[in-house]
Amino acid sequence: MIWIAIVGSALATYLIRSIPFAVTIRGRLPEAASRYLDALPVAIIAALVGPAVVAPAGALTHGAEPLATVLVIATVAWRRSLLPGVIVGVLAVALFRLF
Amino acid sequence: MSLLVFAGASQFAMVRLFSESAPTAIVIASVLFINLRHALMAASLRSQFQGLPVLGRLFAAFVLTDEAFAMATGHFRRGGRSLAYYVVFAISLYVLWNVATLGGIVLGDAIGDPRRYGIDFAITATFIGIVVLAIRHRSDAVIAVVAALVAGGLALAGASTIAVITAGALAPSIAVFTRR
Repeated sequence: MIWIAIVGSALATYLIRSIPFAVTIRGRLPEAASRYLDALPVAIIAALVGPAVVAPAGALTHGAEPLATVLVIATVAWRRSLLPGVIVGVLAVALFRLF
Repeated sequence: MSLLVFAGASQFAMVRLFSESAPTAIVIASVLFINLRHALMAASLRSQFQGLPVLGRLFAAFVLTDEAFAMATGHFRRGGRSLAYYVVFAISLYVLWNVATLGGIVLGDAIGDPRRYGIDFAITATFIGIVVLAIRHRSDAVIAVVAALVAGGLALAGASTIAVITAGALAPSIAVFTRR
Protein backbone atom coordinates (compact mmCIF):
# COMPACT_ATOMS: atom_id res chain seq x y z
CA MET A 1 0.00 0.00 0.00
CA ILE A 2 2.77 2.38 0.91
CA TRP A 3 4.38 1.77 -2.48
CA ILE A 4 1.17 2.64 -4.32
CA ALA A 5 1.02 5.90 -2.35
CA ILE A 6 4.68 6.67 -3.12
CA VAL A 7 4.31 6.04 -6.86
CA GLY A 8 1.01 7.97 -6.95
CA SER A 9 2.61 10.89 -5.12
CA ALA A 10 5.55 10.81 -7.51
CA LEU A 11 3.18 11.12 -10.47
CA ALA A 12 1.19 13.93 -8.82
CA THR A 13 4.39 15.84 -7.99
CA TYR A 14 5.75 15.46 -11.48
CA LEU A 15 2.59 16.30 -13.43
CA ILE A 16 2.06 19.54 -11.52
CA ARG A 17 5.59 20.69 -12.26
CA SER A 18 5.72 19.71 -15.91
CA ILE A 19 2.37 20.90 -17.30
CA PRO A 20 3.27 24.63 -17.38
CA PHE A 21 6.58 23.72 -19.07
CA ALA A 22 5.06 21.44 -21.68
CA VAL A 23 2.46 23.94 -22.86
CA THR A 24 3.72 26.49 -25.36
CA ILE A 25 1.97 29.83 -25.81
CA ARG A 26 2.38 31.68 -29.07
CA GLY A 27 2.18 35.42 -29.48
CA ARG A 28 2.49 38.17 -26.87
CA LEU A 29 0.93 38.07 -23.44
CA PRO A 30 -1.50 40.86 -22.46
CA GLU A 31 0.05 43.67 -20.37
CA ALA A 32 -1.74 42.64 -17.15
CA ALA A 33 -0.61 39.01 -17.47
CA SER A 34 3.01 39.94 -18.04
CA ARG A 35 2.98 42.25 -15.01
CA TYR A 36 1.52 39.43 -12.94
CA LEU A 37 4.16 36.94 -14.13
CA ASP A 38 6.87 39.53 -13.52
CA ALA A 39 5.88 39.92 -9.87
CA LEU A 40 5.25 36.18 -9.37
CA PRO A 41 8.78 34.93 -8.50
CA VAL A 42 9.34 37.43 -5.69
CA ALA A 43 5.87 36.71 -4.28
CA ILE A 44 6.39 32.93 -4.27
CA ILE A 45 9.79 33.11 -2.58
CA ALA A 46 8.44 35.57 0.00
CA ALA A 47 5.47 33.26 0.59
CA LEU A 48 7.88 30.37 1.23
CA VAL A 49 9.68 32.51 3.81
CA GLY A 50 6.55 33.75 5.65
CA PRO A 51 5.59 30.55 7.52
CA ALA A 52 9.22 29.85 8.53
CA VAL A 53 9.47 33.33 10.09
CA VAL A 54 5.99 33.80 11.59
CA ALA A 55 5.20 30.21 12.53
CA PRO A 56 8.36 28.07 12.77
CA ALA A 57 7.44 24.48 13.78
CA GLY A 58 3.75 25.39 13.41
CA ALA A 59 3.39 27.73 16.41
CA LEU A 60 3.67 31.52 16.76
CA THR A 61 7.31 32.62 16.88
CA HIS A 62 8.83 33.84 20.15
CA GLY A 63 10.59 36.60 18.26
CA ALA A 64 13.91 34.98 17.32
CA GLU A 65 13.02 34.45 13.63
CA PRO A 66 11.57 37.96 12.92
CA LEU A 67 14.56 39.60 14.63
CA ALA A 68 16.97 37.47 12.62
CA THR A 69 15.00 38.33 9.45
CA VAL A 70 15.52 42.06 10.04
CA LEU A 71 19.27 41.43 10.43
CA VAL A 72 19.38 39.31 7.24
CA ILE A 73 17.55 42.00 5.22
CA ALA A 74 19.89 44.71 6.54
CA THR A 75 23.02 42.64 5.87
CA VAL A 76 22.04 41.64 2.32
CA ALA A 77 20.89 45.18 1.45
CA TRP A 78 24.23 46.53 2.72
CA ARG A 79 26.64 43.92 1.25
CA ARG A 80 24.52 43.13 -1.90
CA SER A 81 25.52 39.48 -1.41
CA LEU A 82 23.81 36.34 -0.06
CA LEU A 83 26.48 34.57 1.99
CA PRO A 84 27.02 37.26 4.67
CA GLY A 85 23.26 37.40 5.14
CA VAL A 86 22.98 33.63 5.60
CA ILE A 87 25.84 33.56 8.14
CA VAL A 88 24.36 36.47 10.11
CA GLY A 89 20.90 34.85 9.99
CA VAL A 90 22.00 31.43 11.26
CA LEU A 91 24.14 32.90 14.06
CA ALA A 92 21.42 35.37 15.05
CA VAL A 93 18.64 32.79 15.18
CA ALA A 94 20.77 30.32 17.19
CA LEU A 95 21.62 33.12 19.64
CA PHE A 96 18.10 34.55 19.97
CA ARG A 97 16.60 31.09 20.54
CA LEU A 98 18.65 30.79 23.74
CA PHE A 99 16.40 33.40 25.37
CA MET B 1 10.98 7.72 -1.70
CA SER B 2 13.49 10.54 -2.09
CA LEU B 3 14.53 9.18 -5.48
CA LEU B 4 10.99 9.25 -6.88
CA VAL B 5 9.19 12.03 -5.02
CA PHE B 6 11.80 14.80 -5.08
CA ALA B 7 9.82 17.26 -2.94
CA GLY B 8 10.92 17.97 0.64
CA ALA B 9 7.73 19.26 2.22
CA SER B 10 5.58 16.51 0.69
CA GLN B 11 8.00 13.84 1.84
CA PHE B 12 7.71 15.04 5.44
CA ALA B 13 3.93 15.11 5.12
CA MET B 14 3.93 11.59 3.62
CA VAL B 15 6.01 10.21 6.47
CA ARG B 16 3.56 11.67 8.99
CA LEU B 17 0.55 10.30 7.06
CA PHE B 18 2.16 6.85 6.74
CA SER B 19 2.77 6.78 10.50
CA GLU B 20 -0.94 7.48 11.01
CA SER B 21 -1.70 4.80 8.35
CA ALA B 22 -3.74 7.24 6.27
CA PRO B 23 -5.54 5.91 3.13
CA THR B 24 -3.55 5.99 -0.12
CA ALA B 25 -5.92 8.50 -1.73
CA ILE B 26 -5.45 10.95 1.18
CA VAL B 27 -1.66 10.71 0.86
CA ILE B 28 -1.73 11.42 -2.88
CA ALA B 29 -4.26 14.27 -2.52
CA SER B 30 -2.16 15.92 0.21
CA VAL B 31 0.96 15.72 -1.94
CA LEU B 32 -0.96 17.22 -4.87
CA PHE B 33 -2.05 20.16 -2.73
CA ILE B 34 1.34 20.81 -1.17
CA ASN B 35 2.98 20.80 -4.60
CA LEU B 36 0.46 23.06 -6.36
CA ARG B 37 2.88 25.93 -5.76
CA HIS B 38 5.32 24.30 -8.20
CA ALA B 39 2.83 24.91 -11.00
CA LEU B 40 3.15 28.63 -10.21
CA MET B 41 6.95 28.36 -10.19
CA ALA B 42 6.98 26.51 -13.50
CA ALA B 43 4.67 29.16 -14.97
CA SER B 44 7.07 31.87 -13.86
CA LEU B 45 10.19 30.10 -15.20
CA ARG B 46 8.49 29.05 -18.43
CA SER B 47 9.76 31.86 -20.63
CA GLN B 48 13.39 31.04 -19.70
CA PHE B 49 12.94 27.44 -20.80
CA GLN B 50 11.10 28.10 -24.07
CA GLY B 51 14.26 27.42 -26.08
CA LEU B 52 14.71 23.88 -24.76
CA PRO B 53 13.37 20.81 -26.56
CA VAL B 54 10.36 19.14 -24.91
CA LEU B 55 12.50 16.41 -23.30
CA GLY B 56 14.81 18.99 -21.76
CA ARG B 57 11.85 20.88 -20.36
CA LEU B 58 10.36 17.69 -18.92
CA PHE B 59 13.66 16.95 -17.20
CA ALA B 60 13.89 20.52 -15.87
CA ALA B 61 10.43 20.01 -14.38
CA PHE B 62 11.45 16.85 -12.52
CA VAL B 63 14.23 18.64 -10.62
CA LEU B 64 12.19 21.81 -10.00
CA THR B 65 12.13 22.52 -6.26
CA ASP B 66 11.67 25.62 -4.06
CA GLU B 67 15.44 25.92 -3.74
CA ALA B 68 16.23 25.47 -7.44
CA PHE B 69 13.47 27.94 -8.31
CA ALA B 70 14.77 30.54 -5.86
CA MET B 71 18.39 30.26 -6.99
CA ALA B 72 17.43 30.31 -10.69
CA THR B 73 15.20 33.34 -10.18
CA GLY B 74 18.01 35.18 -8.38
CA HIS B 75 20.33 34.28 -11.28
CA PHE B 76 17.93 35.46 -14.01
CA ARG B 77 17.07 38.67 -12.10
CA ARG B 78 20.75 39.57 -11.91
CA GLY B 79 20.75 39.42 -15.69
CA GLY B 80 22.00 35.83 -16.05
CA ARG B 81 20.81 34.04 -19.20
CA SER B 82 22.40 30.60 -19.08
CA LEU B 83 20.25 27.64 -18.14
CA ALA B 84 23.36 25.69 -17.07
CA TYR B 85 23.16 27.47 -13.70
CA TYR B 86 19.71 25.98 -13.05
CA VAL B 87 20.55 22.53 -14.38
CA VAL B 88 23.81 22.15 -12.41
CA PHE B 89 22.26 23.50 -9.21
CA ALA B 90 19.13 21.36 -9.47
CA ILE B 91 21.03 18.13 -10.22
CA SER B 92 23.50 18.75 -7.38
CA LEU B 93 20.54 19.31 -5.09
CA TYR B 94 18.95 16.03 -6.20
CA VAL B 95 22.14 14.06 -5.59
CA LEU B 96 22.92 15.74 -2.25
CA TRP B 97 19.33 15.37 -1.04
CA ASN B 98 19.45 11.61 -1.67
CA VAL B 99 22.94 11.19 -0.19
CA ALA B 100 21.77 13.13 2.88
CA THR B 101 18.60 10.99 3.10
CA LEU B 102 20.79 7.90 3.20
CA GLY B 103 23.01 9.60 5.80
CA GLY B 104 19.93 10.39 7.88
CA ILE B 105 18.78 6.76 7.76
CA VAL B 106 22.17 5.60 9.02
CA LEU B 107 23.03 8.38 11.49
CA GLY B 108 19.66 10.01 12.27
CA ASP B 109 19.36 9.12 15.93
CA ALA B 110 22.86 10.32 16.83
CA ILE B 111 22.37 13.95 15.72
CA GLY B 112 19.55 15.17 17.97
CA ASP B 113 17.57 18.37 17.37
CA PRO B 114 19.05 20.44 14.49
CA ARG B 115 17.07 23.52 15.56
CA ARG B 116 19.54 24.03 18.40
CA TYR B 117 22.23 25.12 15.93
CA GLY B 118 20.03 27.44 13.85
CA ILE B 119 20.86 25.40 10.70
CA ASP B 120 17.16 25.14 9.81
CA PHE B 121 17.20 28.94 9.31
CA ALA B 122 19.94 28.83 6.63
CA ILE B 123 17.53 28.19 3.75
CA THR B 124 15.08 30.80 5.10
CA ALA B 125 17.89 33.36 5.27
CA THR B 126 18.95 32.44 1.71
CA PHE B 127 15.41 33.00 0.41
CA ILE B 128 15.12 36.33 2.30
CA GLY B 129 18.39 37.41 0.68
CA ILE B 130 17.19 36.40 -2.80
CA VAL B 131 14.02 38.47 -2.30
CA VAL B 132 16.04 41.50 -1.13
CA LEU B 133 18.35 41.27 -4.17
CA ALA B 134 15.44 40.74 -6.58
CA ILE B 135 13.48 43.86 -5.52
CA ARG B 136 13.56 46.46 -8.30
CA HIS B 137 10.49 48.60 -7.63
CA ARG B 138 8.67 49.72 -4.52
CA SER B 139 5.74 47.53 -5.59
CA ASP B 140 8.05 44.45 -5.47
CA ALA B 141 8.76 45.18 -1.79
CA VAL B 142 5.06 45.64 -1.01
CA ILE B 143 4.19 42.38 -2.81
CA ALA B 144 6.94 40.48 -0.97
CA VAL B 145 5.78 41.70 2.46
CA VAL B 146 2.12 40.96 1.68
CA ALA B 147 2.94 37.46 0.36
CA ALA B 148 5.07 36.64 3.41
CA LEU B 149 2.48 37.88 5.91
CA VAL B 150 -0.47 36.17 4.19
CA ALA B 151 1.44 32.86 3.97
CA GLY B 152 2.60 33.18 7.58
CA GLY B 153 -0.93 33.98 8.77
CA LEU B 154 -2.40 31.01 6.89
CA ALA B 155 0.26 28.70 8.33
CA LEU B 156 -0.57 29.96 11.85
CA ALA B 157 -4.26 29.33 11.19
CA GLY B 158 -3.42 25.70 10.44
CA ALA B 159 -3.70 25.96 6.66
CA SER B 160 -0.01 25.40 5.92
CA THR B 161 -0.68 23.10 2.94
CA ILE B 162 -2.35 25.93 0.98
CA ALA B 163 -0.42 28.86 2.52
CA VAL B 164 2.26 29.23 -0.15
CA ILE B 165 0.05 28.65 -3.18
CA THR B 166 -2.61 31.09 -1.94
CA ALA B 167 -0.24 33.88 -0.93
CA GLY B 168 1.99 33.35 -3.95
CA ALA B 169 -0.92 33.50 -6.38
CA LEU B 170 -2.72 36.46 -4.76
CA ALA B 171 0.10 38.90 -4.00
CA PRO B 172 1.27 39.48 -7.61
CA SER B 173 -2.19 40.83 -8.53
CA ILE B 174 -1.08 43.99 -6.66
CA ALA B 175 1.32 44.57 -9.56
CA VAL B 176 -1.52 44.54 -12.07
CA PHE B 177 -3.16 47.52 -10.34
CA THR B 178 -0.12 49.67 -9.49
CA ARG B 179 1.68 52.09 -11.76
CA ARG B 180 5.38 51.70 -12.33
